[in-house]
Amino acid sequence: MDLLDRYLAAVKKHLPWQRQDDIVAELKANLEAQLEDKESALGRPLTAAEAEDWLKQLGHPIQVAARYQPQRSLIGPALFPFYCYVMKLAFFWATLIYVIVIVVQLATRTPSQMDVLAIVFRLPDGLLWTATWVTLIFAIIEFAAFHCPGKFPTLAPPSSNWLPSALPQIDGQLAGGKKPRSFAQAVAEVIFGFLFLVWWLLVPQHPYLLMGPGAAYLHGLPFQLAPVWVPFYWWVVVVNVAQLAWRSAGLIRGNWPRLRTTQTIVVSAIGLIPLGLLFSVPDHAYVLLKNPALDQARYGAALTSINLSIQWSAVAICVITVLRLAWEIGRISLDAYHKRVAAMQ
Amino acid sequence: MTLAENLFENLRLELRRGCLTLAVLAQLRQEHYGYTLRKALALRGLEIDESTLYPLLRRLEAQGLLTSEWREEEKRNKRFYRLSGDGEQMLGQLLDEWRAINTSIDNIL
Repeated sequence: MDLLDRYLAAVKKHLPWQRQDDIVAELKANLEAQLEDKESALGRPLTAAEAEDWLKQLGHPIQVAARYQPQRSLIGPALFPFYCYVMKLAFFWATLIYVIVIVVQLATRTPSQMDVLAIVFRLPDGLLWTATWVTLIFAIIEFAAFHCPGKFPTLAPPSSNWLPSALPQIDGQLAGGKKPRSFAQAVAEVIFGFLFLVWWLLVPQHPYLLMGPGAAYLHGLPFQLAPVWVPFYWWVVVVNVAQLAWRSAGLIRGNWPRLRTTQTIVVSAIGLIPLGLLFSVPDHAYVLLKNPALDQARYGAALTSINLSIQWSAVAICVITVLRLAWEIGRISLDAYHKRVAAMQ
Repeated sequence: MTLAENLFENLRLELRRGCLTLAVLAQLRQEHYGYTLRKALALRGLEIDESTLYPLLRRLEAQGLLTSEWREEEKRNKRFYRLSGDGEQMLGQLLDEWRAINTSIDNIL
């Protein structure tokens, strides 16, 4: 039957080329036997309309051929949960980095309306590229895992490399009797951390954000900041970016109820670096006279007083930070000791 | 098709999928080619579409549960399938499982 041959030819086009002749030969034998049965039951050949109905019942050639293909997916079910997780993280980091870059750019020049529009419309574009790269990388991993199954044993969930004891605590069950942070508190910390960072980055270009109306008199003052404040400023940025990233990651991962001790220790330790910078300044000259030759006699005492105030403030902050650091480290050591004692009993 | 009908159809297909494999393996304790296998199953009350059955035979053969050979019958070359040694073993295990599930369902009902 011409129609059956045409049907089989259409199916063949969509079959894997290595097996298409074999599959079509088998399909042809089966369908011809079926056709013979139908015709002998009717006592006559099928009419064109009946033949068409019969082939329609068998299914579209593409669908029939697809059944002979192995089940294919760009990213399979074993990898998909990891893909979703990495995609969320990638979106978060891409957005955060984008925002920081934009804030720094805005702090260094005054944007036009077109600049603002471009900034808004560039973010979706960036996120699309992020999604494309993440998908591409996972598709390659899936392809490699499918074709060399022995070399990717850890892809199949559930992985055996996890510990139930490492799962995040639920509300009201935090170690050491600590009160869990509420979701609102965790979100507020991220929002205010972000706002502080934006404010801090804008201060050099817009000093009134720090000093209010007093900023207008800055140029008239005989004092200026020492060069040490530049690295100090950027270290504060680093500390806050690290803290913001850590807290945002906690929100995304769902472990925001407990503020990690490691996080507190690391942030406190990094926080000591800018303070160390201040202590390294010779003679604690944090503020200098613009014209020492002219103003030393008149403003020398005030300058000494200002620098001493800054020095003692730095010392106080440093002592508080070190005590907090020692407290957290001591608490960790005590917890570890208690766990060891409990394990021995 | 309504939402409920669509849901029923999906669940029915899911329920049938494993049973079809079991039925095909059991029926192929005797040699068949695709069309006669389909007829034999239909005769026992299990209708299977051509587009489901014929690719299923290929998959089961690729998994080593069936063996096949091309042979001429009634002046036409046909591919005949039969349960392999591994297939027989697998069929025994699947039947045990199926009977256990049936018993459990009966107990629940």
